[in-house]
Amino acid sequence: MDIGILTSALLTLFIFSFLYKDNPFYKFAEHLLVGISVGYFLVIAINTTVLPTLFLPLFKEGNLLYIIPGILGFFMFLRFFPKISWVSRISLALIIGAGAGVSIPAVIEAQIMAQMKASMLKFTSFDGIVVMTALCTTLIYFFFSKKHTGWFGAPAKVGTWFLMVFFGATFGYTVMSRISLLIGRLQFLLGDFLHIID
Amino acid sequence: MRRQLPIIVCFGFGAFMLIQFFIPKRSFIFAYENVLDWMQIIYVFTLLVGVANYIKINSKKVTGKAKGWGYNLIALLGLFSMVILGFAKGTDQGSPFLWMFNNLQVPMQSTMFSLLAFFVASAAYRGFRARTKEATILLLSAGIVMLGRVPIGEMIHSSVPDLANWILNFPSMAARRGILIGIGLGTISTSLRIILGIERTYLGRE
Amino acid sequence: MKIDRRIIFVLIAISVAIPLIFKIGLPNKVTKEVKMVYDSIEELEQGEVVLVSFDHEASSLPEIKPMAEAVLRHCFSKNLKVVSFALLAEGTAIGDEILRNVANEYDRKYGRDYVFLGFRPQYTAAILGLGEDLHRVFPEDYKGISTFELPLTKEIKNYEDISLVVSLADGDLPTYWINYAEARYDQRIAIAVTAVMATTYYPYLSSKQITGLVGGLKGAAEYEILIDKPGMGSKGMDAQSVAHVVILLLVVLGNVSYFLSGKLRK
Repeated sequence: MDIGILTSALLTLFIFSFLYKDNPFYKFAEHLLVGISVGYFLVIAINTTVLPTLFLPLFKEGNLLYIIPGILGFFMFLRFFPKISWVSRISLALIIGAGAGVSIPAVIEAQIMAQMKASMLKFTSFDGIVVMTALCTTLIYFFFSKKHTGWFGAPAKVGTWFLMVFFGATFGYTVMSRISLLIGRLQFLLGDFLHIID
Repeated sequence: MRRQLPIIVCFGFGAFMLIQFFIPKRSFIFAYENVLDWMQIIYVFTLLVGVANYIKINSKKVTGKAKGWGYNLIALLGLFSMVILGFAKGTDQGSPFLWMFNNLQVPMQSTMFSLLAFFVASAAYRGFRARTKEATILLLSAGIVMLGRVPIGEMIHSSVPDLANWILNFPSMAARRGILIGIGLGTISTSLRIILGIERTYLGRE
Repeated sequence: MKIDRRIIFVLIAISVAIPLIFKIGLPNKVTKEVKMVYDSIEELEQGEVVLVSFDHEASSLPEIKPMAEAVLRHCFSKNLKVVSFALLAEGTAIGDEILRNVANEYDRKYGRDYVFLGFRPQYTAAILGLGEDLHRVFPEDYKGISTFELPLTKEIKNYEDISLVVSLADGDLPTYWINYAEARYDQRIAIAVTAVMATTYYPYLSSKQITGLVGGLKGAAEYEILIDKPGMGSKGMDAQSVAHVVILLLVVLGNVSYFLSGKLRK
């Protein structure tokens, strides 16, 4: 048997042992997983991101403008020194500010305008009426500046029901997703490891 | 200064990235492309800080012989093995780095998440009760989708998959749309608050 | 009625294992949203470029891999060019391997027919950057070769040279593709997501911001029917069906015992 498959199967069973109860085998696998994952990320991040996006333009192409992000990136490591850790806020502020700036027009266009356009009054069919009712009552439900009582409370209640339909559908799909993950692992154990199935 | 300078930087870059969307001038596009590059570089360094912090915390537990330090040592050994193998022997097909990824990391991570299948079944049996109208609607919707989305639903009755499709494409979709629009409005207001320096939680404590 | 949860665990394990061993062969029906993804690739002409983004972690591999293989087989069978990368670290090694394995099935040549570009962690910057200049976002591919030297990527400047983006995701990354690539650059987007995320994207399907949606292992099985190449998706459907029925029966049992015990108490 391939040593890789044997190792994978053993570690799979270590993790599954948690279903009986927490135990040293599971803890071992859990810690090993986190350590390996972090190590993997470090190698990939440096090889495929830091080197080509910073070192290549700065040192190979001689583009001195890249000194700025290099220094700002280095500032992040100053978080480990309490007296000068405030400098790292500058780098964080750049990412957060820039991210916030680009998101505004994007969200207006994609999440609000496009969605509203798609919902425009479609009263010619039952489905259209259901969609408009569900959308309007859900939006009313999320309006918390007014108490959900009286004439306002009734559509808010209907909105709750439509939200329950959504959550139920999401739960159904969630169960499907989790079972699919289990199918994958059992296919490995029964197929590649035990050779019971193809 | 310690808080003012980051707030000014945040405003400067935030306002620029917002305005450049509307100004297709070459100088703006040049600056925009550079800011995108800088975001990429700085962001990867923030993640590397997380890695350094993880090494620091685990090393402290090992050297201080804290409770369960053996597991922290395993974590560090795993981390350094990947790093040494990755940089010394490369990450190509057939490399030890990739072997460890495919035979250790992927199976363990997949199995960890597959445990959820068991827990979701157990939780559904123990907690999923049709106590109220809302809970009943949720239960019915979940049941129809669960049956309609697998081949067995068609065998039970031909209308089951059609009903599941209708639920997903109309009432469920519309409710999600309402949530999306709400999230969108929230995102816009939070982004504006960040750019204008009203929202400062990212600065941390004084 | 209290049942030890470990009995439930054993029940679930059996309900998944037995149909894997003893195949039932339940027929699968193709849904409209999966057909829409299939059609959006089918209508492309030979030589057009599809950008495939592996936006997932290793944990969702059992769902993502069948979808990825089905979509890539479709692309290569139509002689489309595939440019690929990952926006999550674990998708990098996984995506590289899946792409290479499927490309080898169709004797496709690296650099001419397909390229794997690597990993970019800041998704907003990467997605927006591709709208301006691919070479700026990815000066080198995953192997360290300049993207100006590879025959496929040297011809690609930005989204105008890309016919379709396919995001294989287990989280909310398709939202970024829609918000930035589709909204700003009118890029056509198709998504293949894990089942848990599928309901999130139906509004975008309805508003035609995405060309189609493949959801979970079932979606993969449907796509395999469309391309007439059964794979891991189809193999798992029997087990999926049985497990769903078992869980529903457990829920019904739980409710029946709850209501009966309520009546007894009265």
